[in-house]
Amino acid sequence: MGRIKQRGKAGAAKAYMTRSMAVKKLQCSLADFRRLCILKGIFPREPRSRKRANKGSSAPTSFYYTKDIAYLAHEPVLKKLREHKAFAKKLARALGRGEWSSAKSLEENKPVYRLDHIIKERYPTFIDAVRDIDDALCMIFLFAYLPSDSRVSPTLIENCSRLAAEWQLYVMHSRSLRKVFLSIKGVYYQAEVMDQTVTWLVPYQFTQHVPTDVDVRVMLTFLELYQTLLGFVFFKLYTDASLVYPPPLDAKKDETGAGVGAFSLQEAKTAQNTTAQKAKTVDVDGKRVSSKDVRQTIKTIASEAVDGDVDMLAVDSMPVDEDDEEFVAQPSKSNPEETSDLATLKSLSALSQSGSSKLFAPYTFWLSRETSRPVFEFIVRSFGGRIGWPATSGSGSPFDETDETITHVIIDRPLVERPNETEEESERRRRRKHVQPQWVVDCINAGKILLEEPYLQGNTLPPHLSPFGNLAGAYDPAAGLAGEDVEMEEEASEESEEEQDEEGSEEELEQPEKAALKAAAAAEDEAALRAAELAAEAAGVDFGTFEKEAQKAQKKTKKAAASKQVDEAEEDMNKMMMSNKQRKLYERMKYGEKKRTVERENLEQKRRAIEKEKRKKNKA
Amino acid sequence: MHSEDEAGDSDDDSEDEDHETFPELDPSSDSEDEDEDEEDDGEDEEEDGEDEEDEDEDEEDESENDTEDEIKIGPKAKTIISDITGQPKRVYPEIEPDYDSDSSTEDTPNRVGNIPMHWYDDLPHVGYDVNGKKVLRPARGDELDKFLQTVEDPSAWTSAFDKNTQIDKPLTAEELDIIKRLQENENPDASYDPYEPTIEWFTGKGKEEVMPLSAAPEPKRRWVMKIVRAIRQGRILPNKPKTATTKPQFYAIWNEEPSTHPAPLPAPKPRLPTHAESYNPPEEYLPTPEERAQWEATDKEDRERDFLPQKYNALRLVPAYPQFIQERFGRQLDLYLAPRVQRVKLQIDPNSLVPKLPSPSSLKPFPVYKSLQVPHAGQRVRCVSVSPDGAWAVSGDESGVVRLWEVVVGKEVKRWTFPGRISAVDWCPRTDVSFFVVGTDEKLHFVIPPHLPALVHTATQALLAPANLPPAPSVSSPVKWNSTAASASTSDAPILSLDLPSSSGPSKQIVWHRRGDYLATVSSGENQAAVWIHQLSRRHSQAPFKKIKGSVQLVLFHPSKPHFFVATQRYVRLYNLAEQKLLKTLQSGIRWISSMDVHPSGDHLIVGGYDRKLCWFDLELSDKPYKVLRYHSRALRSVQFHPTYPLFASSSDDGTIQIFHARVYNDLMTNPLIVPLKILRGHAVKDGLGVLQIRWCARQPWLVSAGADGEVSVWCS
Repeated sequence: MGRIKQRGKAGAAKAYMTRSMAVKKLQCSLADFRRLCILKGIFPREPRSRKRANKGSSAPTSFYYTKDIAYLAHEPVLKKLREHKAFAKKLARALGRGEWSSAKSLEENKPVYRLDHIIKERYPTFIDAVRDIDDALCMIFLFAYLPSDSRVSPTLIENCSRLAAEWQLYVMHSRSLRKVFLSIKGVYYQAEVMDQTVTWLVPYQFTQHVPTDVDVRVMLTFLELYQTLLGFVFFKLYTDASLVYPPPLDAKKDETGAGVGAFSLQEAKTAQNTTAQKAKTVDVDGKRVSSKDVRQTIKTIASEAVDGDVDMLAVDSMPVDEDDEEFVAQPSKSNPEETSDLATLKSLSALSQSGSSKLFAPYTFWLSRETSRPVFEFIVRSFGGRIGWPATSGSGSPFDETDETITHVIIDRPLVERPNETEEESERRRRRKHVQPQWVVDCINAGKILLEEPYLQGNTLPPHLSPFGNLAGAYDPAAGLAGEDVEMEEEASEESEEEQDEEGSEEELEQPEKAALKAAAAAEDEAALRAAELAAEAAGVDFGTFEKEAQKAQKKTKKAAASKQVDEAEEDMNKMMMSNKQRKLYERMKYGEKKRTVERENLEQKRRAIEKEKRKKNKA
Repeated sequence: MHSEDEAGDSDDDSEDEDHETFPELDPSSDSEDEDEDEEDDGEDEEEDGEDEEDEDEDEEDESENDTEDEIKIGPKAKTIISDITGQPKRVYPEIEPDYDSDSSTEDTPNRVGNIPMHWYDDLPHVGYDVNGKKVLRPARGDELDKFLQTVEDPSAWTSAFDKNTQIDKPLTAEELDIIKRLQENENPDASYDPYEPTIEWFTGKGKEEVMPLSAAPEPKRRWVMKIVRAIRQGRILPNKPKTATTKPQFYAIWNEEPSTHPAPLPAPKPRLPTHAESYNPPEEYLPTPEERAQWEATDKEDRERDFLPQKYNALRLVPAYPQFIQERFGRQLDLYLAPRVQRVKLQIDPNSLVPKLPSPSSLKPFPVYKSLQVPHAGQRVRCVSVSPDGAWAVSGDESGVVRLWEVVVGKEVKRWTFPGRISAVDWCPRTDVSFFVVGTDEKLHFVIPPHLPALVHTATQALLAPANLPPAPSVSSPVKWNSTAASASTSDAPILSLDLPSSSGPSKQIVWHRRGDYLATVSSGENQAAVWIHQLSRRHSQAPFKKIKGSVQLVLFHPSKPHFFVATQRYVRLYNLAEQKLLKTLQSGIRWISSMDVHPSGDHLIVGGYDRKLCWFDLELSDKPYKVLRYHSRALRSVQFHPTYPLFASSSDDGTIQIFHARVYNDLMTNPLIVPLKILRGHAVKDGLGVLQIRWCARQPWLVSAGADGEVSVWCS
């Protein structure tokens, strides 16, 4: 006989732990537990059976994996939190006794934890980390715009805005911005970094206030983790791009509101040196470069890439690099045909940096006062354009308004008359294109320079669509146009005819007659048929012909409908033979599908109504 | 050099004499002794004992030895700088091994050894020489001679008395030097340098000992001032906070190899914004007032979207989004509080889930349309039956009317009226005779239809009202068989009637055995005696079950074996009538069984229930249903297999009849193929009742159905 199994000693009862059990096991407060969970990325799990996991109780609790909690028990941060608890007690005691000096020395030596190991644990590779910085960026950008108060310290805000600026600088430098979307919540940006799409949301520039129903402690804990994560990610990104991290901040510029411009990107010294050396050797050798030399050069490049942090992706600032990375085909001894189409690094980098990343390179923009400088400076510079702004939007503009190279003015104001304009000003006005901000974003999303005409100052803007696309099968406002055009036309013509009828010109008897017959054919139930009959009578069709036509038409439609129905009925009958599980799945899928179609049809219908309205208005 | 004999004496006699008495000196040193010993070892064992004695003495008075250590008489040492170590070292002159280099070869006449010489005081000799001859005492002059000698001999005052030879011996220059040094309280060793430089053994670089020589803590005086000085000069910042202001330092954390642990699953990304979120969306996205009201009325958690689409004409008009921080916070709550479940996202067409079955049109023939209707004056028609040749049908309604009509044209041939409602009607399956049984409450009526061929008619009469009755069974049964005589019988009245026991209630089912000799009835009464099996040839009725679990709903004869199906509310039991034992209990999972039929092959059974389910049992396979179908929207009322075609049908209270194709294969491996073919609609639902009974025509794929709306319909292919 086997051993008697005891209840709660194996299976789900062992594998799961409720939150209170976990807190008890870790011997920490609930707040500490929450903090640990946030930092370590541990989240509750849903057991198959809640009853089995909770000793037969079905009370609403959250469950954690026991192994997760055991893993937390060894956490150095937990130790530090315990130390901090002891420290807090000591400090309170010292303060209570009025021992100021010992309190001070305690305060100075208070335990502080570091999160490096957690970052390494949660993101074993750099790619993992880059994949997960979306939320971190959103938080950083949000906190960069928050006012500091008692709960949110100014140093924190400062650090957040520094991190935000560093990220923007990197994106601008590496030209990795791909899509921008102006939504009612803020501006969505999407960049491609290390082959990972990173999407972040930046609120519009208004002072946000932390609402009362939000637990700031939770947000700050997250922010703590995110700051560390971003620090390490940026360090790696910057050093990979052979830039100095952190980029030095010019305090004077920062005070005058230069924003991103207050930071200056610096090339890492070592990288420069090596490239210079390499360039020299190539120059010396001139045209006569033996294959051996090339091989050695490649080897050195490769080794550098491995141990150092030299960026292999050539950027504009390092044209020399591009030259000496030319791939020299080495015919392999075993398979001489093989070498022909090996992608060189240069060609690969050219591939990834498509033409759209230098979309605005030929243009120079001037930002009008009312447009948001941080947004458009970032966007335009990411796509290679030059941009300037008036001093009221902050210092650091590379040129002023009178600059002759300005091609576009981004302006968000209605058109006004300018009676006292000088000759020069009007001339300048004529030469430059005054576009609304949406043009810039739409150009980026389209991947090409759009016509400025619909976006000119004072024009009603075309709708701004999301570049991220819709769900499959959802209503597509851009594609819907072509499909419905014919129908629209038809409807339009009918409408016009009706209008004509209403006007009283009853020359054309054929048309209403046909319409009536059509209605008869379409009529499915008795009432509709009768209505059609009345309509026919009103139109002056005699009853005999009407009946004949109606019958003929109805037969036709009935036949079609019957065949359709038969098919559907067969389908329905086959559903009988599905198992319960399959049927439920099927019904769920069908439900979703139906909901989507209803939504789509609703939108299409609305659109039709709107178009009709517009047409009417145009006519009037 | 010096005699050992004397050395012992001097030690014994006068220690204090050493320095004071000038001539009686024994300047032998330990080191030299040892040297000598080593050399002498081989020569005479005599000296060995003495040596040991010497050593003992040495141990006794160490202090003396220490001083004697210094007294070194012998070749002078030179101090030179070593080539190898670079340090100064002492070098002694080479000892030349000639005759006078060793004391053993010295011409010492007296060989007595180191003994007290006063033993020879009153003897003429002082010892013995190497050959054993006496060594005579040398002649000693008197005091005057001594004096004269001191005056005459200039070396006399530098000579000392040698006890061994009993004569004065001049001292050597070295000995004199030592004496001179001792007198001046100097170190007797000339080469000793009391001021030589110290050698640092433990201090200096590379010479520090790892282990401290002392366990005492380092005294404060050694370091306090150093620190004080450093603080004064500002090299040390006192009370610098150790931890509080350490800035996070970033480094290349991903440079080393990642661990082999799998990375934790990345958090799901939030959904990307759609067109509706644009600040300037297409107009159709803007909500109508009703939609807006609905959105505002729904709870925050139930909303499809967390925002209402809005349209602004210019970017400068877009305000701050008031819910921004809440949404960020919500996302964070999701990240750390929401249980995550990994779901496989199905990217399949839902229609691919629907099983692919052969098209019904390829499985023809089956009833498709209603060919005719026989009205029953609005009364519920509970039962219908078709004759074995398929030409006639009888139907009975609740007002007690039984109608006989032709299946093909629907023409009524005859009608009977019985008291009470008709609950069951069934034709006898025999073809040589023709009659049917009508069940009203507690009575069974055997009726012969009119217009029969004479031969059949007489055979039927002979069967039902035989001229000579079979002998009465030994066990009397409560069922009465009343038959009218064949000659007196007409087709207007039943030829034979059975009276079931009065308490049994109306018989709700009549079932014939395939041979047509037995028929079974089920009464609706609650008592045990609900099932009766009647044998026509013996005119005998018996209750097969004395006691049965549950209330019996239905019974059935197996088409080929002497088996009997009994359906209670939940279970179907299969009995062997010949052996009188239970074979199987089928668990249908239906709450209340309403109908049942067995496949003509006898291996499959379908069971319908009031809870809308239909179970297909493969009797060879399992006690559990092979397939459970639920497709009717109301309770099932009747199910039946077609006797020849691969068809079966079910009728329901929702007023529909469902036709199935049911192909059964002979091999055991292939599962039966069930294909839904057609839903027949046409019966009206009245008082919640729909189609109450269906029967197949034996030779055609036609179906006869009786409905609660008082219509009996024939469905043709």
